[in-house]
Amino acid sequence: MAPTLCAVCKTERANIKRPKNHARVCKGCFITLFEEEVHHTIISSKLFYPGERVAIGASGGKDSTVLASVLKTLNERYNYGVELVLLSIDEGIKGYRDDSLETVKRNAVQYDMPLKIVGYDELYGWTMDQVVETIGKKGNCTYCGVFRRQALDRGAKMLDIKHVVTGHNADDVAETILMNLLRGDMGRLARSTNIVTGDDSSDVKRSKPLKYAYEKEIVMYAHHKKLDYFSTECIYSPEAFRGSARALIKQLERIRPSAILDILRSGEDMARLVPGESASSCGCKGNKSKTPTTAAAEDDGGIGGCGSTGAAGGNEMAAMEKQLRENEAAEGQGLEVDVSKLSLTGKPAETETDGSVPLKPKANSKPVTRQTLGNCKRCGYMSSQEICQACTLLEGLNKNRAQIQI
Amino acid sequence: MASTSPPITASEATPNTTTKSCAKCRSNPGTFDSRGQLVCRTCFQKFISAKCIKQIGLLNKDVRSSSSSALSAYHSTQKNAGPPQASSRRYLLGLSLGPSSAALLELLNENVEFQLGKGRNAPFELVVVHVSSEGGGENQRERERVEGTVQRMRERYPRFEFKVVYLEEVVGLETIDWAGLGLLDFSSSPAGDDNDNETTSKAQKLRHLFDTLPSTTSRTDLLRLFTRHLLISEARKNSCHALLLGSSTTALAELTLSETAKGRGFSLPWQINDGILGVPSFSPHSPSTINNKTEDNGILVYHPLRDALRKELVQFTKLTDPPIFDMLPEVDPTATAAVVSHKDLSIEEVMVRYFADVEENYPSIVANVARTTGKLLRLFGGVDAEGNKDKAEEGSESESEEEERLCGLCNMPLDEFGDERWKGELGEDSYRDGLVEGEGKGEKMKQRICYGCERSVRG
Repeated sequence: MAPTLCAVCKTERANIKRPKNHARVCKGCFITLFEEEVHHTIISSKLFYPGERVAIGASGGKDSTVLASVLKTLNERYNYGVELVLLSIDEGIKGYRDDSLETVKRNAVQYDMPLKIVGYDELYGWTMDQVVETIGKKGNCTYCGVFRRQALDRGAKMLDIKHVVTGHNADDVAETILMNLLRGDMGRLARSTNIVTGDDSSDVKRSKPLKYAYEKEIVMYAHHKKLDYFSTECIYSPEAFRGSARALIKQLERIRPSAILDILRSGEDMARLVPGESASSCGCKGNKSKTPTTAAAEDDGGIGGCGSTGAAGGNEMAAMEKQLRENEAAEGQGLEVDVSKLSLTGKPAETETDGSVPLKPKANSKPVTRQTLGNCKRCGYMSSQEICQACTLLEGLNKNRAQIQI
Repeated sequence: MASTSPPITASEATPNTTTKSCAKCRSNPGTFDSRGQLVCRTCFQKFISAKCIKQIGLLNKDVRSSSSSALSAYHSTQKNAGPPQASSRRYLLGLSLGPSSAALLELLNENVEFQLGKGRNAPFELVVVHVSSEGGGENQRERERVEGTVQRMRERYPRFEFKVVYLEEVVGLETIDWAGLGLLDFSSSPAGDDNDNETTSKAQKLRHLFDTLPSTTSRTDLLRLFTRHLLISEARKNSCHALLLGSSTTALAELTLSETAKGRGFSLPWQINDGILGVPSFSPHSPSTINNKTEDNGILVYHPLRDALRKELVQFTKLTDPPIFDMLPEVDPTATAAVVSHKDLSIEEVMVRYFADVEENYPSIVANVARTTGKLLRLFGGVDAEGNKDKAEEGSESESEEEERLCGLCNMPLDEFGDERWKGELGEDSYRDGLVEGEGKGEKMKQRICYGCERSVRG
């Protein structure tokens, strides 16, 4: 049997089946297609302007390494005129971060980009290993995620850079969409689909140029380009909503490869349907009304900060279940007379004391939460609350430390 | 939805625990676990009943209110169907013969009996329709089995009308844009006489269509859509004010996630919420100009069991006297067994399995999924229900007439703005680059069916 030829160039042997659409292509064409698709995303969303200084949030993992490599290639090929810098966060996780940082250091040489490393210890006085020592493995990802978001911003500020790009891929975004559906968090769902979070009015904007790139293709790209990346997952991984959503995505992808993109499409469309959210996530269609996306870099819609997972603590689902039940019970408490109970027994309904037949007002009453931005009173960082999440968490940690010392 | 989690014996409290009294009536022993509380049999039944009756109450009000004046106008224009009396509401129940729709049938019957017992009029008339995907065409044995089950239902609920419709009857329905799907031979023949030969060929056509679909997910998807088309068509034929579906909270959560995964996020609020839905006509023979205005030509679709979990409904069908559960066709036990090939699962099946798990441990999370999705706005092609333009969609050339264009397959509003933007974000057909060669006919289809339906039909 003659070997299948590449569907694009029709000359080389097709030795790659694209995970995204099962198209059979050759290695060279795959690499070009992948790069061109990222280029299309960058252009259609007007991510960069000439002369812009852009920090790549670099963890040493596959996503950010591919992002750095592709951006360097495209910047040269299409003359974006962008100045690229690698920005790494040292969470202080021994056996994970110290090794991956070595990778980033090599990348900096390979791609000829300046590198800035910011440590949790210098920013917050705590390494993640110390945090885990204090609070245990449960829920530590909350700390890490919150700290990292700010850390990237602070790092960017130190470099006087206003745009940080991250390696979030299509799987991450799809996962976040499903996760927010499961959590019933429509506000976050809307924000998580945006390719750019934060805007000119906030200090640092964030974007995800690999938003439409499949994780499997990123791995393939890294493999075929022989990129130097670090492939161990974070040692502190949680389960909960994100893990649950992740498992679903993998299953769906097996059944129908397009499912990941289809979820993105659904998520973007649903974002327009959230009452009170601003309409469009892309800049390609004359967005005259530049309504600032209230969700700034402080909250990118719950997109996991770290390459592997990054949801809040272990028993998140159980906690939410409990919360929801309490809400139901509260709402049911003597709010309405239950006329319907007449039907079964024919006796008038006894007065409910425990409120266990929750007769809620019609579902649509609770508004979707919106955010308004201000600055944290303690650290001056942008926050929708008086005290930002990082400072609140730190306060808890420091109390703990004080007690231990006593 | 036929497939369910394994039989719910688990929620029956183990007898050896010290018998606690029911958390609600505090007199009978609590033997059922209902959302974390031990309740007695009567209170459990009341709990489920209350959830259903509340929704039926909302529907009854909806039918009486202004939104139904247009409906009545529609019904009065139908031949042989006088305008419905204000007092006689007429509903159609889609009976899949799964536990949820069977529970709804039982609950509706209870409601009618109760009202009659009070010396009042029956609150509504009910037509019960089972759409059978089996026993198509020549398969007489299957047909007899299905008819037999429905006959037993008919005997149990003599007050209601029962009807079996076979899936092949979807061929020729004018609510589907057959021409747009490239299935011209599926359009209704102008003559419209249904002799036996034609029925066979309808079944063959349908089988052929299903054989050519790209995946199990596509087949499951079209089966669901066709069933829905037939139910809506029957509802209109029978001059019903509303179509009632037995979807449980769990089913709605599954629908939310599976439709999201199939790219139909835009129409989710139309699918999940109760209310009026447009019913278009794509008939080439229809002389009238296309009028897709929902108010003139729509149907109310309601999910009265939206607040009950599937496991609760399964339990409920086992508690009725005699249990309806025993009358239902057995669910294929392999459906819950270990999967041989994951590739042959449909997206729907994946979601059913997933939520069977979540329902067991986190029922409120399941309930919350459908509830929050229901808060999303219902838009028409980038324009919301009040006719306000989507902020970002200024200066599009769509005429106002086109604002209510509906998908030729799922009949949900088309999202022209979203389609436009998606093309911009991904590049024209980049998904198919290098996959499909020289396929020209796809271009036109895109205008007429939604993103999710296109995926289902074309892969």
